[in-house]
Amino acid sequence: MTTYPVRFLLNGTPVEVDVAAQDTLLETLRNKLWATEVKNGCGKGDCGCCAVLLDGRAVNSCLTLAVQANGKEVVTVKGLGNEDDPHPLQESFIRKGAIQCGFCTAGMIVSAKSLLDENPRPSPDEIREAVSGNLCRCTGYKKIIEAISDAAPKCSPSD
Amino acid sequence: MVRKTYSTIGRTTRRKDGVSKVTGREIFASDVVLPQMLHARVLRSPYPHARVVSIATAEAEAMGAVCLTPSDCPAWLYNERQVSIPEKTYRDRTVLPETARHVGEGIAAVAAKTEALAEQALGQLAVTYEPLPSVFDPWEAMAPEAPRLYKDIFLGDVVLPIERNIACFREMREGEVEQGFRESDVVVEQEFRTGRVYHHQMETKGVVCRPEPDGGISVWPTAQSIHNVRQLLGRIFNIPLSKINVHRIPIGGSFGSSIQMNTCIAICAALALKAGRPVRLVLTREEDLYDHCKYPSLIRLKFGVKKDGAIVAGEMTTVVDIGAHNIQAYPLLGCMAGWFVSLYRMPHMHFQGTAVYTNKAPACAMQGYGNPQVSFAVESLIDVIAERLNMDPIDVRLKNYVGLGETFWGQGPTVRSVIRSCGVEEMLQKGKDLIGWESRNRPEARSGRFRRGIGVGRSFHTSGTGAPMSGEVIDYSTALVKFNEDGSVDCLTPLMCHGGGTLEALTKIVSEETGVPLSKVEISPADTRSTGYDVCTHATRGVYCGGASARRAAQQARGILLQFASRILEVNPEALKIRPDEDLGQGVIYLEGAKGKSITVGEVAKTAQIKSWGTAIAVVSHRQVNCPPCFVTNFIEVEVDTETGRIRPVRAVAAVDAGTVINPDLAAGQLEGGLCRGIGLALLEDTDYDPRSGALTCGGNITDCKIFTALEMPLTEDVATFFAETEEPSGPFGAKGVGEAANNCTAGAVANAVANALGLRFTDAPMLPEKVLARWTDYLREKRGA
Ligand code: FES
Ligand code: FES
Repeated sequence: MTTYPVRFLLNGTPVEVDVAAQDTLLETLRNKLWATEVKNGCGKGDCGCCAVLLDGRAVNSCLTLAVQANGKEVVTVKGLGNEDDPHPLQESFIRKGAIQCGFCTAGMIVSAKSLLDENPRPSPDEIREAVSGNLCRCTGYKKIIEAISDAAPKCSPSD
Repeated sequence: MVRKTYSTIGRTTRRKDGVSKVTGREIFASDVVLPQMLHARVLRSPYPHARVVSIATAEAEAMGAVCLTPSDCPAWLYNERQVSIPEKTYRDRTVLPETARHVGEGIAAVAAKTEALAEQALGQLAVTYEPLPSVFDPWEAMAPEAPRLYKDIFLGDVVLPIERNIACFREMREGEVEQGFRESDVVVEQEFRTGRVYHHQMETKGVVCRPEPDGGISVWPTAQSIHNVRQLLGRIFNIPLSKINVHRIPIGGSFGSSIQMNTCIAICAALALKAGRPVRLVLTREEDLYDHCKYPSLIRLKFGVKKDGAIVAGEMTTVVDIGAHNIQAYPLLGCMAGWFVSLYRMPHMHFQGTAVYTNKAPACAMQGYGNPQVSFAVESLIDVIAERLNMDPIDVRLKNYVGLGETFWGQGPTVRSVIRSCGVEEMLQKGKDLIGWESRNRPEARSGRFRRGIGVGRSFHTSGTGAPMSGEVIDYSTALVKFNEDGSVDCLTPLMCHGGGTLEALTKIVSEETGVPLSKVEISPADTRSTGYDVCTHATRGVYCGGASARRAAQQARGILLQFASRILEVNPEALKIRPDEDLGQGVIYLEGAKGKSITVGEVAKTAQIKSWGTAIAVVSHRQVNCPPCFVTNFIEVEVDTETGRIRPVRAVAAVDAGTVINPDLAAGQLEGGLCRGIGLALLEDTDYDPRSGALTCGGNITDCKIFTALEMPLTEDVATFFAETEEPSGPFGAKGVGEAANNCTAGAVANAVANALGLRFTDAPMLPEKVLARWTDYLREKRGA
């Protein structure tokens, strides 16, 4: 099978990986780069669990080909913060009870980050709209929307 | 009542698994990677009913794939659900079947170095099928000439012939129902239907299996009971349980979808044993959609009442389309009877339930286990009674509800207990104020395109299935608690957290009981080798049953620690107390009123170690003798667009009587999530089958098998939750469950709100816009005609 070398920045670190033309960014991240924080909830663009930032914009990595990431910057939820220095969105998700099983969480936070970068003070309706591609079966969304509202004033685009 | 105050119980704290979840560090089954691991894919039947004549594997094997066909698998019939006693367990399936009985049933599997290779190898399997006639409708399935799914199966160790595709039938009576109806002033009767809802847990089912050099196997599954997975694997593959180790691993939502040992686990284990290498099998969303669903229901319900609203008699007949396998239809029917007779007093009752096989994906437990279906019917009909008698629906409920001091059935006839805590009245009264019940109009008062209505629904779920005697269902938990040498505490339990905070609650219970600050109490990783048996984290039993065993273990370990402390302090151990000191990060053992007589838990544990006195450690296996109802109440306001038929929930009040609430924020989250799923059951969710092909009409895509998104769930600022102020005497620190109860009453409340908006009652869920519009148009036409 013909493979192509693809280079991109993953959470700030340059990575290089050989991929086939049809390989998705999701498969590549999970299976070749061990970025298992990116979840596969459907593989068809229906659930948003696989969302990552591609040059700052949230995309479903299951619908993005790995070759499309070439030369770009990919940020996953791990790239937003860690246990010692969590991103305000991560902190709000914990404090506001916006996580239950946590399977949708990585994608949800990535979508929220993309929203806040474009619209730093979104209304609840704008938040709903922005995360409407992210399914959550556990929470009923209420606490997720509250967590994003809560985090908004604490975020700056550089976070 | 005045609530006790606790140091951690009832306080909102930062959940311990929060950080790993928000930073993407939580590892789910599908994330487990082992050296030398192969990836598996399953070949699934395109036919709803077909005999597998042959499977040629040579080409796939030539590609280096390991192939698994029915002839490689043990012939022993199993039931993936392991909570009924053996003689009540219906066994009808093998690891891979020789006859496929629904589209999507796995018939062969391959494992290869990569997922892509496995996929290619799958395409090389050549299968010859002999298609058989199929049946999709339960009524047609019961006709004498209908195609038969099974000639016979096993019930326990006895061969059970299957006639007319009836998997099982249950009937229960109390009093004289006919006499009850004769004595009634008003008799109401209606038929209700709920859909074949898909669990839609966000993580699809998956598993990693590693064969071990001693002939055993290690397993990392999506599962709600690691012990039941181990027991079944041991029995199917004839491996001693001591050589099987099933690890607990976080699960990406369950709602009942992993209440059984999922079939992919047995397939993956067989592949791993054959390959001699670790194998990972993760279902695609399409495969998962064909794996399980909620039990759909057809319920005919009849109540006889006196003029004053007192219920005299009730009769329920239900037919449940269980799909291609009988996973747990027998206990389901018992539970449906229990849910039916336990909401309202009825001196005379009759229940009949029939579970029917059809060629569809098998149904299994989903949050509420028949209760949302039953409560939808019961709560709707209670409103019909109110309407007929011109009474306030709340008054009919208050008049008839089964409450304090009364016996209820819980999960079927063998699980009876007495209610010792009850917040029903409080929730109805307070919820009524919060939603503005007094301003609720009659439907005739409304006009215009958008019509709003308010409805109420109530229900309950049992906290576990404990009872004074053992019955048809197994129920006990085991926990270990130990004090470490630095004063921290480990709690080891095979319970699962599905996301709702069960394990979080256990840390609080153990912290409260031991007096060690919450920051120093942790839940240990668990597997079947290191833990005692726990039946399953199901039936809303995690906190009430699992928490009770943890509390008892903590009590015993604390007793040992205080013995050690008494040797050091030279006082009677019974005079000693422990209080948490967050600043010190220690529990402090002290003698009340005596200055100087204190020492930290850490110092005692360390001293006991240095002096070789031992470890303060205890293991407790415990069965609760009760299964107290956690009552729930929803008030919902909907807006119906009479031009499109779309129903929009606009406001809701959700309340639970969970006894002492251990994690207030997480319990509120449970109520909100349950509300969302209940509204989904009422308004949106179902899985339809194409009657020609037997395939799901959604084609395996969740875009065409929707759940609500944040956008369509317009309940954010307008959702209020609250807890009844009760305390359950038999629960750990007064706690009962929340879990399943959270979605049990919602569909009924929605139906009642819609009826209040339109003056038109919908008895078949989901109430999709096209259905609503068609009925509304007919209704207007009839009204005009009249
Ligand atoms: S996995 Fe990409 S949208 Fe579901
Ligand atoms: S928290 Fe479980 S799917 Fe969102």
